[in-house]
Amino acid sequence: MQNPSSDSCWRLRSDVVSTVLHNGGVILDLRSKFFFSANPTALAIVQMFETGATSAQVLEASRKWGANGDLPAVEQLIEQIIAEGLVEAATPAGGVMPEVAVGTWLLPVLSKHHEPLQRIMVSAFDPGLPLAE
Amino acid sequence: MISAPSARVPANATYGCGPVALKINFTDSWLGEALHGLLSQYDAPWGNPVLVIQATIGRGPLPPEAKEPTGAYFRSWLLRVERQGGSLISLSKSGVWLKYDSATCEAVVVVPHGSDEPSIVEETEQQLILLLARGWAQAGWTPLHAGSLLPPGENRCVLLCAPSGVGKTTLIAAALRRGWRTLGDDKTLLQTGKDGLIARALARRFHLHPSSSRWFSELGDFGKFPHYSRWTDKRVVPIASAWPDRLLDSAIPAAVIQLQRIESGVEVEPMDPMKTLHTLLRQVAIPSDAEYARPLVACIGAVAAAVKAATVKIGQGAYDDPALVGRLEKTLWELLT
Repeated sequence: MQNPSSDSCWRLRSDVVSTVLHNGGVILDLRSKFFFSANPTALAIVQMFETGATSAQVLEASRKWGANGDLPAVEQLIEQIIAEGLVEAATPAGGVMPEVAVGTWLLPVLSKHHEPLQRIMVSAFDPGLPLAE
Repeated sequence: MISAPSARVPANATYGCGPVALKINFTDSWLGEALHGLLSQYDAPWGNPVLVIQATIGRGPLPPEAKEPTGAYFRSWLLRVERQGGSLISLSKSGVWLKYDSATCEAVVVVPHGSDEPSIVEETEQQLILLLARGWAQAGWTPLHAGSLLPPGENRCVLLCAPSGVGKTTLIAAALRRGWRTLGDDKTLLQTGKDGLIARALARRFHLHPSSSRWFSELGDFGKFPHYSRWTDKRVVPIASAWPDRLLDSAIPAAVIQLQRIESGVEVEPMDPMKTLHTLLRQVAIPSDAEYARPLVACIGAVAAAVKAATVKIGQGAYDDPALVGRLEKTLWELLT
């Protein structure tokens, strides 16, 4: 695990994709084939890393979203995102951070699904192993 | 298990494959005949194609510029695929090579001369499935390995998800006997747009194993139907041969079931959106390339967010018991209400 110092910049890996679902979203790591469910605040934090962000920038945004007493949980989430390898070290872009909106602040939760998708598939249409007839 | 080629295929043949038309120049007539079974299976009506792919398929050595692809785009048992700019480069175990330029929609498939013709044909089929899967995605559709069922008078369907061999087709046949309709038993295209979600049919045929013939008495002797592929002893059976009025071209996905086998009886458990998403994603061959994966994942996410879902476990003898078949039908209905 790399050291998440507050001024290190991290960017979502190019082979990590996210999509919105009920009350949050899903982050799919195309390299490991694991995917993660994220509640709306965790998704917003992950989205901050799409163009590159430091821990300090994420904590500041979380404060504005209403995190207040939950900032340790935000720090834990950032550590989890780094530990899972969803982000990689990046050079700070230097531009304006994109606006990421959060409606109501919730304790951020990012849950790793225990079972990955298939890493090697049967075909480009039917990924799953057939059951014996 | 591949039958000896028998169809007479012209050197220049066009196959309608859903929203994609494949215009193929076969420089080897034997290959054209061997691949006809695969290419003619996408027989659901679609109208004018959204995308036309020009392909040349012939025998020869690997092109001098061909290198072993990394598999960074996609990897299957038989193929390693990488993307180079707008082109997909794929090489199979026995050396069948594909290059597809998505900007010009031109593809070249080079098939080696070899003694193991069944493997060569199988791997060429896999290259064409890769080509079609990319073409369907390019045309705005997400290929889903799933069957579907619609009750009488409804335009909303239940998507049936399971690996091959778990019983999608058997459940579909049981429901067709009770008046339900289908888009097909294992090939569906999905799209999400301003008008919402839509599922479209691709193939109007079942792939049935002879051992399941007792469930399909309407079809008579399975021996009259051609083999599907050499991987299985399954036969290609036109759905219309037994249920001519039960085929639909499109429907709105409103429910998902994950089918599982159990020893006996029928068990139903509701699925939350995350498990529904997982179930659906396992039925899509998602490339490892983020740019090409993103629209597929977004489409599947939209479906998972919009449907009711359940895991349905079906015992070996369930279809012999009218009460259990009735319970299955009731479960399907409840998912749509």
